[in-house]
Amino acid sequence: MEDWRRIDIDAFDPESGRLTEEDLKPPYATQVGLQELQPKISQLRSAATSGDFASAVQLATSDPPYNSDDATKLQYFSAVLEVLTQVRQAEIINIVKQLSPKQQEVLIKYLYKGMSLPEGQKQGGILLSWFEKVTQVSGVGPIVRYLSDRNTV
Amino acid sequence: MSDSVIANYKLVKAPIYSHCFSQDRSLLAITYNSDCLIYRIVAGGKPQLVATLADHDKTVTAVDISVHGRIVTCSQDRNAIVWEPLSDGSYKPTLVLLRINRAATCVKWAANGFKFAVGSSARIIAVCYYEQENDWWVSKHIKKPIKSTINCISWHDNGVLLACGGTDGYVRVFSGFVKGLDSKSQVSGSPWGEKFPFGTLVREWYHGAWIHGLEWRNNNERLAYVAHDGTLNVVDSAQYFSSVESPEGLPFLSLVWINDNEILCGGYSCHPVLFTEGADGWKFSKNLDKVGASHPSVTSETGDEEDGENSSFGISALKKFKELDLKGKVTTDVQKSTHENAIVELAPFAVSNGNVSQVSSCGLDGKVVIYRI
Amino acid sequence: MSQSLRPYLTAVRHSLQAALNLSNFSSQVVERHNRPEVEVPNASAELLLQPMHISRNEHEQVLIEPSVNSVRVSIKVKQADEIEQILVHKFTRFLEQRAESFYVLRRVAIPGFSISFLITNMHTETMNTEKLVDFIIEFMEEVDKEISEMKLFLNARARFVAEAYLGEFVY
Repeated sequence: MEDWRRIDIDAFDPESGRLTEEDLKPPYATQVGLQELQPKISQLRSAATSGDFASAVQLATSDPPYNSDDATKLQYFSAVLEVLTQVRQAEIINIVKQLSPKQQEVLIKYLYKGMSLPEGQKQGGILLSWFEKVTQVSGVGPIVRYLSDRNTV
Repeated sequence: MSDSVIANYKLVKAPIYSHCFSQDRSLLAITYNSDCLIYRIVAGGKPQLVATLADHDKTVTAVDISVHGRIVTCSQDRNAIVWEPLSDGSYKPTLVLLRINRAATCVKWAANGFKFAVGSSARIIAVCYYEQENDWWVSKHIKKPIKSTINCISWHDNGVLLACGGTDGYVRVFSGFVKGLDSKSQVSGSPWGEKFPFGTLVREWYHGAWIHGLEWRNNNERLAYVAHDGTLNVVDSAQYFSSVESPEGLPFLSLVWINDNEILCGGYSCHPVLFTEGADGWKFSKNLDKVGASHPSVTSETGDEEDGENSSFGISALKKFKELDLKGKVTTDVQKSTHENAIVELAPFAVSNGNVSQVSSCGLDGKVVIYRI
Repeated sequence: MSQSLRPYLTAVRHSLQAALNLSNFSSQVVERHNRPEVEVPNASAELLLQPMHISRNEHEQVLIEPSVNSVRVSIKVKQADEIEQILVHKFTRFLEQRAESFYVLRRVAIPGFSISFLITNMHTETMNTEKLVDFIIEFMEEVDKEISEMKLFLNARARFVAEAYLGEFVY
């Protein structure tokens, strides 16, 4: 006999109005593919190789690809990670200070993402010192906003 | 205690999720686990417990007192009860058939005191009013397009517009117009629209984060709300939108309009924060009742326990565990503010020439505090 | 405190402060129930917030999963060799078996982590949130120390036993 006690009756009710992960994503106007993002990634890389980290981080944290698929996001992320790990400890605080609150939030997102992936965990120490500097500059505010933000990087 | 605190009542050893003073400020109703307690305020003394309203069997989530002195409570047991004061000081309960199948989370009387609205986890707002011929409270539902639990509701003074916010991240304004009870003249000339049949969605704003509290300002037809991302936002019937972040980053749970250009917020930072509208939008103005540094420094408190125990090998993590959890170890920390835990609800207490001059608050620490602005 | 431990602990501290803003939230799926939303198979995605992963390196990590009325904190304790693995296992097991007297401890750690805590709104309402955060931080500091201390002790004991036993055969 079917285990009727475990039937999820709400699932059959079209008006139950449950929200899934998909429903929570804010509506995006367009999908950004890898093709459109490639110029920005190479721009990031060239800024990093020329040693201009301040503008590289600025660029990385403005207008991140929220509306892309996971593979594209990962490509972009690895470029960002490359930039972040090349910055010298002493410079971090100055770069963070130049960021707008919005950019700091994006930076926090990349830091958390970095620490959740094996690539980033190898660089844990550097990501943590970025993290520390952000909280030094603006407290827990960016983290609180990260928690509620449904835009993922 | 700083000088902005007028009164500090430590009432119960449980969180107070909601409190309400009667119109003449002589009675105070608070939620206490599955009961609602009524206190009489004694000038210069401790409030006296006069009645315990104990008909609910789960956590009471909200309480409100109408202009006529009727008390309404709602609870996670899915019910709301209206308590009619009797001449001998006791209260006569009347169960309201809300017809919801999940917890009721918030309740508010309309300004005229003839109807109230209950928000629920069943994605429903129930607007309830008394029907003479049947001698009971009937409820009408507002369902669409609410997608998640309602956290907070607020009636416009005209008694028709009903704002709500919840965990789906939307602030919505509905019409709570009840035929036979409300008249069209109440909303004539409203900037929010022409016709308000019951249950219509008048306006909605997407915010994303959970909405914890919201409040109408009738004078300038604005709506302010606080959300879980630590912001205070103000909107109006047109395009106006202004947002300001909490100075400490922690989210607010409740707010009160002081006047057209000032809002007082309270939440997880345990002390009220005042915001002012300037030429360039809303800005942080000042903290009330805040002592000492805002950020807890990363100091270790090992000094007092290093002695003696230090040399012995043992499970010191376990020892710490016990010390912190069971004994609630009280260190020499200076008490930071009057509320020791989050402020859950703020309400205006006294008004002088158009400005709210005193605000009452209740918190998770079981206190009711009255602040001077 | 070592150079890289400090940023690790401050990151955890700040993340916990941001996550421990809980409210009393009755289930919107099951009638008259009030349950930690992070623990139940959840049909309402809006009640869960973004998880926070903080890692010092591959071996030392903290995962904080916040929701509307509960936060799950999982800690992966450094385990450099097999002895440490055994010690961590024994140590966390000892605590987990006594979980009810520790209030915030979860009986079973979530997969991939050494020990998990579950903090609900009941805890933040009855305890000081700051102290809860302090406790987790102190626990993290303490557990590393504890494990290495135990390892030293174990080695010393092994040496002593070996000496006593093998001493028999020395003329």
